[in-house]
Amino acid sequence: MRALWSKLRRFAAGRRSLADDLEAEISAHLEFEIDERVARGMPPDEARASARCHVGNLTGIAERARDTWTFPPLESFALDVRYGLRGIRRSPGFALVVVATLALGIGATTAIFSVVNTVLLRPLPYPAAERLVGLSESDPRAEGISVTWLNYQHWRNENHSFEDMAGFRTVQLTLTGRGDPALTRAGLVTCGFFGLLGAHPLLGRTFSEPEDQPGAAPTVVLDSRFWASKLGADPGILGAALALDGTPYTVIGVMPPELRFFGRGIDYYLPLHRFEGAVTDRSRHGSMRLLARLKPQVTLSAAITDLDGIMRRLAESDPGPESQHRAHGVFLTEAMTGDTRPALLVLLAAAALVLMIACANVASVVLARATARGREIAIRAAIGAGRRRLVRQLLTESLLLAAIGGAAGSLLAQWGSRTLAAMGPRAIPRLAETSFDARVLLFALAVTVLTGLFTGIAPALAAGRLDLVSALKNSSRAAAGRAGHRSRGMLVAAEVALTLVLAFAAGMLLRNLIAAQTGDPGFLPEHLLALELMLPPASYRSPQAIAGFYDTLEQNLRTLPGVTAVGAVNCPPSGGDCGDWFYSVLDRPAPSPSEVPIALFNNADRDYFSTMHIPLREGRAFRDTGRPPAPLAAIVNETFARKWWPRQSAIGQRIKFGGPYRGGPVYEIAGVAGDVSQMGLGTEAYPEVYLPFSQSPDRSMVVMIRSAGDTAVLAPAVRGRVAALDRNLPVVSLEPFTRVLAASLSQRRFSTLLLALFAGLAMLLAAIGIYGLLNYWVRVREDEIAIRMALGAPPRSILGWTAWQALRLSLAGAAAGVMGSWAAARWLGSLLFGVAARDFATLAAAALVVVFTAVLATAIPAWHATRVDAAQQLHHS
Amino acid sequence: MSTVDDPRERLEFLQGTLEVLILRSLQLGPNHAYGITRFLEQQSGDEFMVDNGSLYPALQRLLQREWIAAQWKTSPNGRRAKYYRLTAAGRKQLEAAASRWRRFVAAMGRVLAAEG
Repeated sequence: MRALWSKLRRFAAGRRSLADDLEAEISAHLEFEIDERVARGMPPDEARASARCHVGNLTGIAERARDTWTFPPLESFALDVRYGLRGIRRSPGFALVVVATLALGIGATTAIFSVVNTVLLRPLPYPAAERLVGLSESDPRAEGISVTWLNYQHWRNENHSFEDMAGFRTVQLTLTGRGDPALTRAGLVTCGFFGLLGAHPLLGRTFSEPEDQPGAAPTVVLDSRFWASKLGADPGILGAALALDGTPYTVIGVMPPELRFFGRGIDYYLPLHRFEGAVTDRSRHGSMRLLARLKPQVTLSAAITDLDGIMRRLAESDPGPESQHRAHGVFLTEAMTGDTRPALLVLLAAAALVLMIACANVASVVLARATARGREIAIRAAIGAGRRRLVRQLLTESLLLAAIGGAAGSLLAQWGSRTLAAMGPRAIPRLAETSFDARVLLFALAVTVLTGLFTGIAPALAAGRLDLVSALKNSSRAAAGRAGHRSRGMLVAAEVALTLVLAFAAGMLLRNLIAAQTGDPGFLPEHLLALELMLPPASYRSPQAIAGFYDTLEQNLRTLPGVTAVGAVNCPPSGGDCGDWFYSVLDRPAPSPSEVPIALFNNADRDYFSTMHIPLREGRAFRDTGRPPAPLAAIVNETFARKWWPRQSAIGQRIKFGGPYRGGPVYEIAGVAGDVSQMGLGTEAYPEVYLPFSQSPDRSMVVMIRSAGDTAVLAPAVRGRVAALDRNLPVVSLEPFTRVLAASLSQRRFSTLLLALFAGLAMLLAAIGIYGLLNYWVRVREDEIAIRMALGAPPRSILGWTAWQALRLSLAGAAAGVMGSWAAARWLGSLLFGVAARDFATLAAAALVVVFTAVLATAIPAWHATRVDAAQQLHHS
Repeated sequence: MSTVDDPRERLEFLQGTLEVLILRSLQLGPNHAYGITRFLEQQSGDEFMVDNGSLYPALQRLLQREWIAAQWKTSPNGRRAKYYRLTAAGRKQLEAAASRWRRFVAAMGRVLAAEG
């Protein structure tokens, strides 16, 4: 220990003084020896010579003494680094290619990893977040069903597995009396909710138990962003009233903004039970989900078994249509990232493939250089460098290059992750928080070191095996080059294979996206303006009031110049799953309770189908038949009709809403409409039932306005008509429908774009790799080519012979890539919509593109081979 | 290796013994490297041959452990030389090493004698 300290002190003091000191000491020693010999009577000259001989090699002694002060492994490492840096300075072109290639690979991988880290890996900002779970109900066919209020009460009071449990859901309410009326999002939560998230109010307090009871005085806790943006961060807000859907709510607290529990963000919290009212029916769902924290040491599956036991007991004591329901739980971390996980993992895998291709390229270049340096290495071995020492030095060199590449890559990744965070779709949770933390840096470091080892290991081992005699005797580059050529060829073939996998994946996604964008959506999306409205229940209580409002609005909109048709729907195409429910077909045997079919239930008015240009295959559109008890009519989509009546007409058939075991009206099918891409563009059609708006008016509708001209011009007039009818009604959104559709594809476009970018990058790298390999191969064989030419080989045969070298590898790589793509398709499936992931045409196209790129890359060196001047070449060698 | 100019074979130092011998030579008072060499050769009856290539690194190691300290001084014959002296730690180390060495020699002797 003490010795180490002395060394470090001396190291800091500088080595120059130590060297001078030792030199002075040893020359004094020499003088003593001379003095002694002179004293014995030797002539001075002879004395000096004898003393020198006796003392030994002065420099050698000083060096050995000085070395005791150093750290030998460190010093030789420093030497290797110095040597490596000198090598980089000597061949800047080589270094630039290597560093740029590695920077691209490491940068791409690290950038994607930084997103994965933030979105998937970073713990949620709640205490003991790893024990937080989301709970819902499940039945034999579906999971994620909302939890009913009564079930929640039983679960909460009777379980033995959870520390606490809270219910939550969102609802949209209209805020009035504070500037323009605005649609706001409320988080309905039970009072344990804030405790589970470990959140404390900035101002005031949260709900108490009595405030979350039916009939309690209405209270509201604000989110601080809403408080700042809408209420001017008024510090005296506590006690003030907020008019929501016409009801005054007293503000009792303000929560900090970083709660971030609800994906789209909410404006304030209301007590859930007070809002829901008293409930006595155990199967009445209100779209509530639960947040719960597991007790320590309790597994999720044990906790679900516990809840299932409660459900089983309830099925006996309080049987109902949902006696089959059980509990379902997902860890909150997974629940919050469910959709984006596969996309991000595929992208990370793609980035890793690019990195591997980059590594293969660099390894190939380094290998070429190492064989060219064969003589140098042989000389170093000949003058005594040990094999391990040589390997270490070559590894240090490639690690050095990797380190520079990694540093550049990290800069690139920082820029990349900022770009991803800014441009990525909003639907990816926490994407905007993407940043470089210690884990990302550690990842970059690990990738860099692995890259350095991978790119250095082949040449280092080759150097270790070097046959000294032949390397020193034979100065021809060809002889040295042949050894490494096989490994380089394999690397390049692997690159082609990986590139093909990437090209195939990108091709599949691209094809899928193009199909979604250009495929027939089942309606005419152009020249459509979509006006989304939500009538507040406070001012629109009765079905008549709702129907009256929309009827008048549509009438007024039709009178606007340029408007050709107006119709309304509850859930527009690509609006996703706005509500599915059980049903049964009368005149068919009743299904067992666990096999009741489900369909999407939508709500449309009389003119919706004609406005959208959705063709009616059979029957008629809705008429204004008047409210029940007039016979209830429904329109089903083609998929629904084909499912039940493939060979006969569906018109006149009757279906029961809710199925045989639940209450619900019976509808008679009046028409069959063409399928539209309800769940998103390019997705498969799903059985869907449209119920007539006139018979069951819905408060939230999207009014579709078809115009003869530019839809954007129409927007201000449309807003005017809405305000003229109800000054206090907020417009939820008003956009050309094509833009709504485009936005629904944003996440897919994002992953497709990135994957295409990676595939392009891979293609470029592979092309460089093939070019480099063949170029080197030709240069090494210029003599051989010259001899062949001199013996009368025509340029065409030289061209063929040369190109075949690269083409052979490309074809072998492509064959491996085809198999790899077929295997990788399994993971790709989760990103594709409505098509099988194993598409032969796409694979063939990808293979063609990759092989064609390979052929292009071989062209220049192969052409170069035919330009070898035989006479000159042979003369020179 | 060694600068042997004498045909008679001399003893090589066992691992670590040179450092103990240096400490011992300094017990009598500060001395310079040449003086230490002369002392060891004379005291061993010219059985030990001190190689400078070993002596100087050994001195540096002792300095690092702070068992000896160095200072430039003028020798009696007027030459500037670097003088080494024992530190308190070095004195303690010498005592411990000397006792260990005596035990080692005694044990070695007993074993060899028993065999003979």
